[in-house]
Amino acid sequence: MILHPAIVALVIVSFLMTVMSLSGAFFGIRIIRRWDLTSGSEEQLLLERRTYLISTILSYVFVFEIGSLFLFIYTADSLHTLFVGAMCAAGALYVDPYGYPTFLLKILNVILAGLWLIVNYVDNRACDYPLIRKKYALLLVLAPLILAESIVQTLYFTQMKADVITSCCGSLFSSGGSGVSSDIAAVPAKAAMVGFYLVFTLTFLSGAVYWLRGKLGGLFSFASGLFFLVSCVSFISFISLYIYELPTHHCPFCVLQREYGYIGYILYATLLTGVVAGLGVGVLMPFAGIGSLAGSLPLIQKRLTLLCLVSYLLFTGVSIYRMVITDFTLGLL
Amino acid sequence: MIRLLNVRKGFNLGKSNEFIAVGGVTLAMEANRVTVLKGPSGSGKTTLLSLIGCMARPTSGRITLQNGLLGGRSFSGGKDTPEVEVTSLPERFLTEIRRRTFGFIFQQFNLVKGITVLENVMLPAYPLGEKHGVVMKRALALLEMFGLAERASARVEWLSGGEAQRVAIARALMNDPPVIIADEPTAHLDSKLSLEFMEIIARLKDEGRTAIIASHDPLVYNAPMVDRVIAVRDGLLDGDGQ
Amino acid sequence: MASWIEKNRSILDFTLSSLLRRKGKNLSLLVVYTLVVFMLGSAMFLTQAMKREAALILKDAPEIVVQRLLGGRYDPIPVDYVKKIREIRGVISAGPRLWGYYYDPVAGANYTLMVPRNGAPAREKIIIGNGISRTRILYRGDIISFRGSDGIARNFTVEGEISPESELVSSDLILMAEADFRGLFGFPAALATDIVVTVRNPKELLTIAGKVAELLPDTRPIIRDQMVRTYDSVFDWRGGIVVVLLMMALLAFVIFAWEKASGLSADEKREIGVLKAIGWETSDVIAVKAYEGMLVSFFSFTIGLLAAYGHVFFFSAFLFVPALKGWSVLYPDFRITPFVDPYQVAVLFFLTVVPYTVATIVPSWRAAIIDPDSVMRS
Repeated sequence: MILHPAIVALVIVSFLMTVMSLSGAFFGIRIIRRWDLTSGSEEQLLLERRTYLISTILSYVFVFEIGSLFLFIYTADSLHTLFVGAMCAAGALYVDPYGYPTFLLKILNVILAGLWLIVNYVDNRACDYPLIRKKYALLLVLAPLILAESIVQTLYFTQMKADVITSCCGSLFSSGGSGVSSDIAAVPAKAAMVGFYLVFTLTFLSGAVYWLRGKLGGLFSFASGLFFLVSCVSFISFISLYIYELPTHHCPFCVLQREYGYIGYILYATLLTGVVAGLGVGVLMPFAGIGSLAGSLPLIQKRLTLLCLVSYLLFTGVSIYRMVITDFTLGLL
Repeated sequence: MIRLLNVRKGFNLGKSNEFIAVGGVTLAMEANRVTVLKGPSGSGKTTLLSLIGCMARPTSGRITLQNGLLGGRSFSGGKDTPEVEVTSLPERFLTEIRRRTFGFIFQQFNLVKGITVLENVMLPAYPLGEKHGVVMKRALALLEMFGLAERASARVEWLSGGEAQRVAIARALMNDPPVIIADEPTAHLDSKLSLEFMEIIARLKDEGRTAIIASHDPLVYNAPMVDRVIAVRDGLLDGDGQ
Repeated sequence: MASWIEKNRSILDFTLSSLLRRKGKNLSLLVVYTLVVFMLGSAMFLTQAMKREAALILKDAPEIVVQRLLGGRYDPIPVDYVKKIREIRGVISAGPRLWGYYYDPVAGANYTLMVPRNGAPAREKIIIGNGISRTRILYRGDIISFRGSDGIARNFTVEGEISPESELVSSDLILMAEADFRGLFGFPAALATDIVVTVRNPKELLTIAGKVAELLPDTRPIIRDQMVRTYDSVFDWRGGIVVVLLMMALLAFVIFAWEKASGLSADEKREIGVLKAIGWETSDVIAVKAYEGMLVSFFSFTIGLLAAYGHVFFFSAFLFVPALKGWSVLYPDFRITPFVDPYQVAVLFFLTVVPYTVATIVPSWRAAIIDPDSVMRS
């Protein structure tokens, strides 16, 4: 195994997060089985106190997951020199079959942790913890995923052998090759553009309707999730081309480097914020009927909608800006 | 009005050192009155006090607060009920109520050492998120009222017994609570300071506040402004006194 | 929103004053924390800087070096292989290189003797590297004697020193004329040490190297990238070993931090009890503890980081150099070019601040759940 300090750091952080979320999940099982708000027993008081611990833990997990996502990409990038044919992180992730799954799991866990924090926030606004069991059921889904991410990440680092010939992102994301990634790039830029703008409009309109009138919330949430996926595809398909000013450079990781003004961070941040906020609205929809939440829920959902729309607007704005100011053209726009 | 309905509080239930501090108390306290809980140490009056003051949850039974006492804030899903049951409220709501409803004066004053008098008085207001300047002005006004304005920047360790007592009272009044709760307030005071304390209580009653005091000091429960004396023994009430 | 900001401001105020009130307890933690950051930071900065240094130097290395193997071992290569290599399509130039090692019993060190392609000194004159100059106290005009493979001593006059900028690679280097070199080592005229090749298109390196190996089966072509990768791996590996060793220190630090956070004095417990009693929530006290941790982390991390930077780049990492440079008699005396990027700082952060924070989560929570009526009961 390559003993790079960054790898040690990532493994340690993943280990810590796994321990934290698994212990949270175990307490969660107890809470699901024994929670009874009306009882003044000492056990109930203990459980209530425990929820503070788990909320604190999950907040930290969320923050560290985001950090480890970027650290992971950066590490993959700095390791690319050890592999023939890898020009950046995209190639380094392809070195063994665990690279991309780690990346995807990290993104999934960021989103799930964010959603958990939203549900937790709403639950705490009501005076009878109406969502307590559902919340910890969600944790029982998230904790194993964090464990899986840890394992897959460790496998990625232990299975990689330096000097292995691998595809650089040129051949990985080019239309000629095979495999998932090249299928994405193979989406013709024009079709991807149309899809991108269409879904953006749908999201924006349904979001505006929901914010003003309180209707179409479900549609908006679905659209926001769809926009997240479409944006990922679109970025690889055409947005990246404009930022790199090369018709063949589709890589979603190089954009985090200094040479491109670290613009990748804005794109990632806005996209992740948007999808967590947008999906949050949908996740909260089933709880609209609960009495104790009647006062606070609609307002929270509206705020999330606003956050989602602003984030997505920023993402689209920055992307379009980069597409407009460059001399490079695909003959489209 | 604060109402307790068959309230019990036990510790270490089911274990060998099981201890029932309060065993089935039903009580109704009226607003704008001075009530004294009289009883020897170990009688459970302190536990009763902490239950009334929303500091602890009862093992069984119900506690309700009059909505008016809460300064108009309702906690039961937006409905405007005259009484709010606080028995099963989660901690953050209970603490919210406690902050705005009750002011506490402890037996040993319990001022935070190492910070100034002014900061001590301001502490209860920190979680409410008001502007720092506003909070400081209010605190200074309270210190004025008790003649402690010049001692505002003094360390609490340098205060005399009487001064400390008045700082503790000022702190209790920081969030303008309708109810004052005092636990053995005169235990460490001489007769002169004890009488002064009761006079302050009378003043607070004139302002429209309620006072609930736990004490086994005759100076307290025999004071003229006391409206009602409740005897507590072994976790149960011992008849009603006037 | 504004009230949230005000509330956190007040809590932060209180946290700051609370930390200053307990200087003694927090000082030991700060010192240990800073030390851990310093050690890990130094190890990382040094490895990364040296990696970069090596990469910069290797940038000028030849693209392909062709060596001859005899029985799996390195052997001098016939000079007429050069003609054959030149004929391969894509090769711009190919030329023989002459260099070797000379053991000097006086200094107990190995020197690298080399015949440069351009600017070789005249007969019986040499240009020496700074390490040799210092060890043998040789300066311009001095004479040094080398014993050839035929047993005869030859005298060489020092013509000059190699410029100090490249001291990392040239410290033990001696440049001499070709005839002197061949005479000293008994190197036949038909042989060279190896052959360096430059190609037109860097993308073709692998193919051309393949063709060389095919054409001349007793040779081994080495591509520059492979060298860079190997050096990178070695530095990474060495840096990683140091980091892993420091894991023990990190673990001890984490346990220490946990103990400190858990060990509340009776005074502190009482203070929290009072706060809870006068209306502070559990989450408010958790916030106090979190801010405490953040402030401690901020100071320790910053000071440790700056100290590590100074240690590596101003004092040449005097504490670590032996482990990372390997054994050699001639230490180059050079200033490592400062090279720190946000990525390294982030890695350091994840190695130190994150474990510390996690260690304090449960103790902070335990402190925060002190019952509000605890001050009444005691």
